[in-house]
Amino acid sequence: MPRALKRFFLYLAVAGIVIWTVAPYLWLIISSLSLKIDLLTVPLRWIPPRLTLENYYSLFFTRGSESVNARLFFHSLGNSAMISLTTMFICLILGVLAAYAIARLRFKGSNMLVLLMMATQLVPPIVLVVPLYVIMRKVDLLDKHLGLILVDISIVLPLVIWLMRGYFASIPSELEDAARIDGCTHLGALFRVILPLSGPGLVSVMIFAFIAAWNEYLYAFIFTNVDAKTIPVLIGEFSTKLGLEYLRIAAAGVLASLPPILLALVFQRFIVRGLTSGAIK
Amino acid sequence: MKITRPRSRPVFDDPRTLGLLLIAPAMLAILGVVLLPMFNSLWLSFQQHDLSRPQEDAFVWLRNYADLLRDPRYLNSLQATFKFSLFSVLLELALGVAIAIILNQEFRGRGFVRSLMILPWAMPSIVNAAMWKWIYNADYGALNALLAQLHIIDHYQVWLAEPTTAMILIILANVWKETPFTVILILAALQTIPEDLYEASRVDGATEWQSFLGITLPLIMPVLMIAGLLQFIWGFQTFELIYIVTGGGPFSSTEMTNLRVYATTFRSLRFGYGAAMAYLTSLIIFIPAVVYIRSAYRKVVEV
Amino acid sequence: MKRPSLYLFVSLLLILSFVLASCAPTAVPATELPQASAPEATQSAAEAETITVIFPKHEADLSGAFESRIREFENQSGIKVELIQSDWDSVANRILPEISTGGSAYDVVEFDNGWVAEWCGAGWATPLNDFMPAGYTDGMIPGLVDLFSCPDKKVYGIVWNNDTRFFYYNAEKLAAAGFNEPPKTWDEFKQMGISAKEKDVVSYGMAPFWNQEWSLGNEFHFWTYAFGGEIVDEKGCFLFNKDPNTLAALQYMVDSMKDGVSNPAGMTYNQAASQDAFLKGDSLFMPQGIAGLMAYTKDASVSSVDGQIKVGLVPGARAGMSAALTLPEAYAIPAQSEHKEAAWKFIEFMTSRETNKALAQEIGVLPIWTDLYADADLTAKYPFWSEFQAQLSTARGLSKLTWYGDFVDISTAEVHKALAGEQTAQEALDNMASGLSQFECKP
Repeated sequence: MPRALKRFFLYLAVAGIVIWTVAPYLWLIISSLSLKIDLLTVPLRWIPPRLTLENYYSLFFTRGSESVNARLFFHSLGNSAMISLTTMFICLILGVLAAYAIARLRFKGSNMLVLLMMATQLVPPIVLVVPLYVIMRKVDLLDKHLGLILVDISIVLPLVIWLMRGYFASIPSELEDAARIDGCTHLGALFRVILPLSGPGLVSVMIFAFIAAWNEYLYAFIFTNVDAKTIPVLIGEFSTKLGLEYLRIAAAGVLASLPPILLALVFQRFIVRGLTSGAIK
Repeated sequence: MKITRPRSRPVFDDPRTLGLLLIAPAMLAILGVVLLPMFNSLWLSFQQHDLSRPQEDAFVWLRNYADLLRDPRYLNSLQATFKFSLFSVLLELALGVAIAIILNQEFRGRGFVRSLMILPWAMPSIVNAAMWKWIYNADYGALNALLAQLHIIDHYQVWLAEPTTAMILIILANVWKETPFTVILILAALQTIPEDLYEASRVDGATEWQSFLGITLPLIMPVLMIAGLLQFIWGFQTFELIYIVTGGGPFSSTEMTNLRVYATTFRSLRFGYGAAMAYLTSLIIFIPAVVYIRSAYRKVVEV
Repeated sequence: MKRPSLYLFVSLLLILSFVLASCAPTAVPATELPQASAPEATQSAAEAETITVIFPKHEADLSGAFESRIREFENQSGIKVELIQSDWDSVANRILPEISTGGSAYDVVEFDNGWVAEWCGAGWATPLNDFMPAGYTDGMIPGLVDLFSCPDKKVYGIVWNNDTRFFYYNAEKLAAAGFNEPPKTWDEFKQMGISAKEKDVVSYGMAPFWNQEWSLGNEFHFWTYAFGGEIVDEKGCFLFNKDPNTLAALQYMVDSMKDGVSNPAGMTYNQAASQDAFLKGDSLFMPQGIAGLMAYTKDASVSSVDGQIKVGLVPGARAGMSAALTLPEAYAIPAQSEHKEAAWKFIEFMTSRETNKALAQEIGVLPIWTDLYADADLTAKYPFWSEFQAQLSTARGLSKLTWYGDFVDISTAEVHKALAGEQTAQEALDNMASGLSQFECKP
């Protein structure tokens, strides 16, 4: 196939991917800038006749209690940021160590621990929530950042371990053996050989861990109330007895998905080729 | 390269002790949170514990589990969830590989497109669910509007009122949200495949497709298996999407097990039965998952 | 090794910025208004009792009217209120773990009509008779008091949200279709709906909210009552599968999907979507509209039917029959609360005639005191309340069952199946009976 034609199909495919990914989100943004009655017109106008910031305004100001909602929104945003970042870092550290142990140091019982870890992931969290609530209440960790961080770690850490184990396992062991022959300890091999080589994997897992903690809903809902409320919980409250307030959710959703995207934007450059080329040589 | 005599290994370099040492904090962090509640609710699953009728509380051994196996609503939810998870995973993997390979090529704006890719996964699940509910709205939704304006349909359809289309649509919504996860994982894995391998095969005269099957696929297989397993398990944890978009309808055809557990515990206040439902479901997915993990583990070892 | 240090630097920067963001407003109790703290300072803050109150936001409360009343209560009584207001679902899901595990975090909680029997059975609420002055509830709409009593005849909740639903119709479109009076029977309803659709005046007679979710249970109750049917008797014994009126109600619902009265999309609609369609003018009738619907019709951002809507009486199976559904919500004091007297003072204040009237005036809350319906100021502001009053005496609440959750669970699935045409109405009712057989009362 001639090169130009190949390029054409490539860009066509890329365009398709972009449209597939972005179209619903674009509709979300447009909805968040619309009035309800305009969204109900048939045939639907993709660009509504009137654009409005009312939905965003209502996130921050409600007539009668102006400053409260703005403070609440930013407060929740801050909570989410702090909890997600802390969870991410702790899970990265603990996860990398554990993943290395599982992937490379095949010791007795490692298999069983992996299975145990997986078993904890299979149980629907809904059924763990009430006993956990009692425990958290006893140790006074309800509605506290630390409480949510601890339970989020129990969700995010297995994910990190599994993914990192996969990346570690795909690095040929010859490299590590070479390092050990040179006198490295296991840990030294981990830090000097394995981690740099699994750079792209590490960065992607970091992004995932952050987003998983950022978007976590059930535990955040049950274990926070006012002080440590995170953004997904706040968004979940935008409903009345009649149903979800779609437009407000859209506006809040647009804002709430920005930090993870920014993070991905900053770090995606590190998911690049080049860190491993030449390693085998 | 210096040739040195290997130093006598310090005691914590011994694989076994080191391994335990490294894995201990992680295990503590996970099990410390989860173990007690698990035992508590497991214990509960052997009891009748309906909160609104405390006078009927009793220890019933395996009766809850036996009842579940005869509960048509529960069995229905099992098969609905299997269908949902399985199809989601297959689509996510297929799409994920395709998209990752495309995004691995050189083209202008590649970095931007890659970071755009995370968008669906970065949305809170409630926002995702609310968005799709609105898109699928029968009278005013964007899907109907789009299809009608493209003249694919001649009048608006109530997509969510038919079991088949409702299932397809929520699988679509789920795939849209979850595919970025697989894409980025596979993309990262693709980075570790050295370019020389492709060059060598090109020199040997292999086509693109052949080098894909012979080089790419085997090398990303571990990641594919992990991603697949995770997505399958997460399929079973899906809640907001179903609750908000279909509520389990039409007539329970999209009702997932997680929804049943929620309804049984939080709405019907039958905590014993609900706990049993949760553990039975876990057991049912545990067995294939274990088999899967063992085979994946073995494959990984061989690499 | 430049790259790793670069990204370490960037991430440190990110952390710094986020930490700064979260440090700024720390531990803000979400509802503390600046002006509330001033009068507090004059009292010794250490002695001020604090109660925690959790209940949903009223549908019509866009201006924080309830919150203002609460701050006034704080000023008057010296009791500090930690207020948690969110949506109905969140409130329900928050209360359950706390109350079911014997927690004392809440002093005044939301108490929904559908939970009464369950809470009575579980013993989660405090009888308010211990705190109420004798005769406190005289003068309240009687139905509202009964709905929140347990089998021991004591009152466990005082209503704060008289959420009775009313029959609204688009008078202008009805007239355009050639009818001047709203329907008195369900047959007339059907005729008018089909006729208006054929004349292209509206899309459908009604767009019901029959999605398979909790509110379908409400709808089942409404239609059954509207046809004069029964669901269970006082002892909780099944009547739904024996009462011919109940069957007629369900049959009417099923038929309405086929003969064009109901929008088929109603099978996927929740109450909000149903209301959207009515406010757009695509439906002729809204058989179960909220009390505050009139205010919505005047809001141009959601409505194109300003001035076209009127209130009627719910039609019946025969002329002269009418019934409505009420879904009231009350304040209750959990059994484990440690501030019960203070909690009662809160309830007394918030449900008093003064507060009731003030809220009615400000945001159109439907009063719980019968004499307020004759109040001059209120009737001047809400002339359509006279139509409400006629309906209020026919209002009935949800079934009081300790297994109400299971009832909704099974009935919604079976009813939805019948609405889809996958089973007959009779089969649906029979399946409900067999699915709920473990709860059947023993003769």
